[in-house]
Amino acid sequence: MSVAVAERSAAPPQHALRPVISFHGVSKVYPNGTEALRDVDLAIHQGDFCFLVGPSGAGKSTLVRLLIRDEAPSTGRIFIDGQEVSRMSHRKLPKLRRKFGIVFQDYKLLTRRTVAQNVAFALQVTRPGQRHLREKVEEVLWIVGLEDKLDKFPDELSGGEQQRVAIARALVHRPRIFLADEPTGNLDPDTSWGIVQLLLQINHRGTTVLMATHNREVVDLVRRRVIAIDNGRVVRDEAEGSYLREGTATL
Amino acid sequence: MRQVLASLWFALHSAGQNFRRNLGVSLAGVFTMGLIIFLVGGSLLFTHSVDTVLQGQEQNASHLKIYLSDNASLAAITNFESRLKDDPRVISVTFETKDQAKQQASQNPSISSALAVLGSNPLPASLNLDVRKLTYLSQFNAEAKAMPIVDSTTPTDYNSDVIGKLNTVITVIEWVGAIIAIILLTISIVIIMNTIRTAVYSRRTEIEIMKLVGATDWFVRWPFILEGMLGGLLAAIFSGAVVFGAYRLFVQAAQGNLLSVPFDARYTITLLIVLLVGGVAVGAFGSFLGVRRFLSA
Repeated sequence: MSVAVAERSAAPPQHALRPVISFHGVSKVYPNGTEALRDVDLAIHQGDFCFLVGPSGAGKSTLVRLLIRDEAPSTGRIFIDGQEVSRMSHRKLPKLRRKFGIVFQDYKLLTRRTVAQNVAFALQVTRPGQRHLREKVEEVLWIVGLEDKLDKFPDELSGGEQQRVAIARALVHRPRIFLADEPTGNLDPDTSWGIVQLLLQINHRGTTVLMATHNREVVDLVRRRVIAIDNGRVVRDEAEGSYLREGTATL
Repeated sequence: MRQVLASLWFALHSAGQNFRRNLGVSLAGVFTMGLIIFLVGGSLLFTHSVDTVLQGQEQNASHLKIYLSDNASLAAITNFESRLKDDPRVISVTFETKDQAKQQASQNPSISSALAVLGSNPLPASLNLDVRKLTYLSQFNAEAKAMPIVDSTTPTDYNSDVIGKLNTVITVIEWVGAIIAIILLTISIVIIMNTIRTAVYSRRTEIEIMKLVGATDWFVRWPFILEGMLGGLLAAIFSGAVVFGAYRLFVQAAQGNLLSVPFDARYTITLLIVLLVGGVAVGAFGSFLGVRRFLSA
């Protein structure tokens, strides 16, 4: 079964006019000459759930890094929430990054802090003096299903649980956009499925979710928007796609 | 207000926590800084002591006799003497008559007998100067030569050779002290920066997370800067105490020998304050530089 061209990046009618993320002719060439992204155009709307798929080195991570302005694009413009970030000054970055909740394959937890402290850390450094800190931390840990592990250290948890802590930390300041860069890369299929369920649940509450992944099973099961990147280019953008192009063995 | 206090508390709390959690790295940093502060303090005190001793020598050497011509009028001499007295470079001036000079010289028996043979008094009257600095002696020597009332054959007892040598020794010691201080300071900044960078490196995940969740640069910096200040303060307290103790021992030991080094309390207290402030400042600055690399994205 092939997907009609007309379906490509068709936006459902309930979307706001302005996309929450948009890329206009974005390219990224690293100083060593590597061309990580080529002429990328993208629009992601509030409440979308997108998979970003493609082989290692295709440019998925570069795209994520451009979004949080860890890197600046070589050419083109990037808008988040209507604000151009491609030329944003260093001073404004903290505010931009507070719009995102980000999780990575390697969790990036502080091993000497407890689960609750790891989650609270995100609020302490962005909103010092936050009231009802404990309640907020407990609430978000309840969402990820770790309400009984508050005082455990990361080492005492399984990989899936550690990723849930990372998700809780990314959620606690109520981000508009949730970025997950290979969140299931280190996890077994069952645990991975649990994490994806959690991301869908977060999306259900209205948060835009962008998940870069290699996990074919998950993408094929969930059937949400798929943006495929290969060799720095967007090669496919389907509203309800699968990991590979339907009926083929290619992206 | 609540936000500022919370930020301050967070910075203080995590500075203390980091210091304790990475005690090994922290203590290595404190030890390195302490060692350098000790070297800087020690070399400053040593240079100061040597300087004090040499200045004593200089004071002893800072005499000049200006020999007066026999036919100089008393009015001209008084005039010259009062001019010298008003000169800021001069500590004191005394007038020595021919008779006083003879009396002085007669204490040496061979001169005394020679004077008896001569019958008359060939010794000139003189103005005896005490000047503030050795270098002024040559200036007064030159000025005296130009005066008509001064004895034209032997204007002064200025011995350029000895005074020149003493002057050279003092200059060399001062230069060597300054160069050692500059070298130590450069080494210390490099070492401290690297030590702190190692300490910061061991916490790069924390910095990375802080940046990811949107902490401002200053929020990330403060705990590290406070930690650096704490380390610098501890290093300064310990090495200051050691320098102070060593100085006392040195003064006591020196007094047992011929060399008398005075215990300069005011200089020591000033130095200890400078070491404390310097330790804290260098700790803060080193941390600032150390964190900078991890914030530049």
